[in-house]
Amino acid sequence: MSDNTIIRVENLHKWFGLLHVLKGVSFSVTPKEVLVIIGRSGSGKSTLLRCLNFLEEPSSGTIDIAGQSLTITAGTRYDHDQAISMRLNTGMVFQDFNLFPHMTALDNVIEGLVTVKKIPKDKAIPIGMNYLIKVGLEEKCNEHPIRLSGGQKQRVAIARALAMEPKVMLFDEPTSALDPELIGEVLDVMKQLAYEGTTMIIVTHEMGFACDVADRILFVDRGIIAESGTPDQIFSHAQDERTRLFLEPIRKVQQI
Amino acid sequence: MAVETTKFPGQPESDPDLDMGQALLAQERRERLIQTVKIGVVWVGLIIFLTIALLQFNFDPAYVFKHFGFVLQGLPITIGVSLASIAFATILALLGAVARLSNNSIAQGISGFYVSIIRGTPLLIQIYIIYNGLPQIGTALIAKGLPQIGHLFILTAIQSGILALSLNYGAYMTEIFRAGIQSISGGQREAAESIGMNRVQILRRITLPQAVRVIIPDIANQFIAMQKDSALVSFMGIWEMTYRANRFARQDSKFMEMFVVAAILYWLLTIVSSWLEGILEKRMRHAYER
Repeated sequence: MSDNTIIRVENLHKWFGLLHVLKGVSFSVTPKEVLVIIGRSGSGKSTLLRCLNFLEEPSSGTIDIAGQSLTITAGTRYDHDQAISMRLNTGMVFQDFNLFPHMTALDNVIEGLVTVKKIPKDKAIPIGMNYLIKVGLEEKCNEHPIRLSGGQKQRVAIARALAMEPKVMLFDEPTSALDPELIGEVLDVMKQLAYEGTTMIIVTHEMGFACDVADRILFVDRGIIAESGTPDQIFSHAQDERTRLFLEPIRKVQQI
Repeated sequence: MAVETTKFPGQPESDPDLDMGQALLAQERRERLIQTVKIGVVWVGLIIFLTIALLQFNFDPAYVFKHFGFVLQGLPITIGVSLASIAFATILALLGAVARLSNNSIAQGISGFYVSIIRGTPLLIQIYIIYNGLPQIGTALIAKGLPQIGHLFILTAIQSGILALSLNYGAYMTEIFRAGIQSISGGQREAAESIGMNRVQILRRITLPQAVRVIIPDIANQFIAMQKDSALVSFMGIWEMTYRANRFARQDSKFMEMFVVAAILYWLLTIVSSWLEGILEKRMRHAYER
């Protein structure tokens, strides 16, 4: 493993029953890199992301994150405690936000700090407020999620993930559940993070955003990485027929 | 970053046709009130009808008034037994549900066995076994020279009643708690996992607080059912309402009078309980209201 990678995935397989969703995926991410994963629905891109923080248990393969390495061999039990400790290296933002509805925005953000990191609540509150300020929602700190718009909920969810100071941020279609007019505010927060040098892996259908923010794009098709490259290589000079077929209709609509 | 707090369209102060909306709202309220009054009249009518009907058939109201107080004195015991039992049952149910949802095969086995055996047998039999059956074991243990353990098996009537009701309702409520915890979406659990929380933390901080809100009406239902099932402990000679009613009913052959009194008291008790539960439910809804 070279010193300049923060995530390395090697030969990752995932089976759901007899459905082979990931068929030996390998890639790596360098610090401060923004990697965008695109592909059709059902291609395995979300599963790939969810394997990185073990929300899905990988069936086999090796995952290195920030110096910790876990190799999983099909049919044998692996070290779940290590998987859970590796989870703290990543922060996850979900399509459906998944804010805790019984807590205020601020309590959502500091929940991990207080419960997992055991930081006293009075020390966690200023940290949490800082992250709410970062996503522009300090004045909503005492609101419960039901009183927030979709975009605001997703920004709180981003603040909640950031508060744990993960080495890598994972975004699983963060704008797919949003009304069109609310997408911009979430993408703006993400662009800001990219600008600040946050390492990010983003699964998205927002091709314009991908083009803007990505250092590198992976095109996933039927459980394998069909093509990878810079936005220019993928969007303008795709080598692979499948990539071109996928992007052609999108390009017409989104005028990239 | 700009924060946008969009105003919802059609906010009252900006609308010149506000009167129309208010008139419609008032109309709606009026109709709802009339409906409630009508239903109330039907209730009163039914009560009057039943009272008159009873009085036609050899029913002695004077006897009712004379012994009403005596039955009422059993109310604190009924409430006490129910409260103690619902408290223990809740603890049992919580443990049972956590065990049923755990990966531990021993915990799963024990809780599954407990729920199955309790739900599969009548409450009355369980009371008999605890009150009449266990002392048999207790006596045998004392005879074998283990008096300390033996005495644990010989329970007073009140203890037996509370134990039986707790065990019985604990089993049913285990299923309520389990379903409540499972009803919380997988996304909540995943979000908690993604910030590094372990199973116990997720249960305590995320799923259980949300589940409790969902199951409050079910627990209240169980509590109301228990207040009535507590009548079953009367045969052990606990001086609760049913026992007191039964005493005079048999002595003077005034069955209708005494049991109607007891029935009315149970009914009033459950009405008050439902009302309290409504208040509790409203208070817990706070976080979910816009």
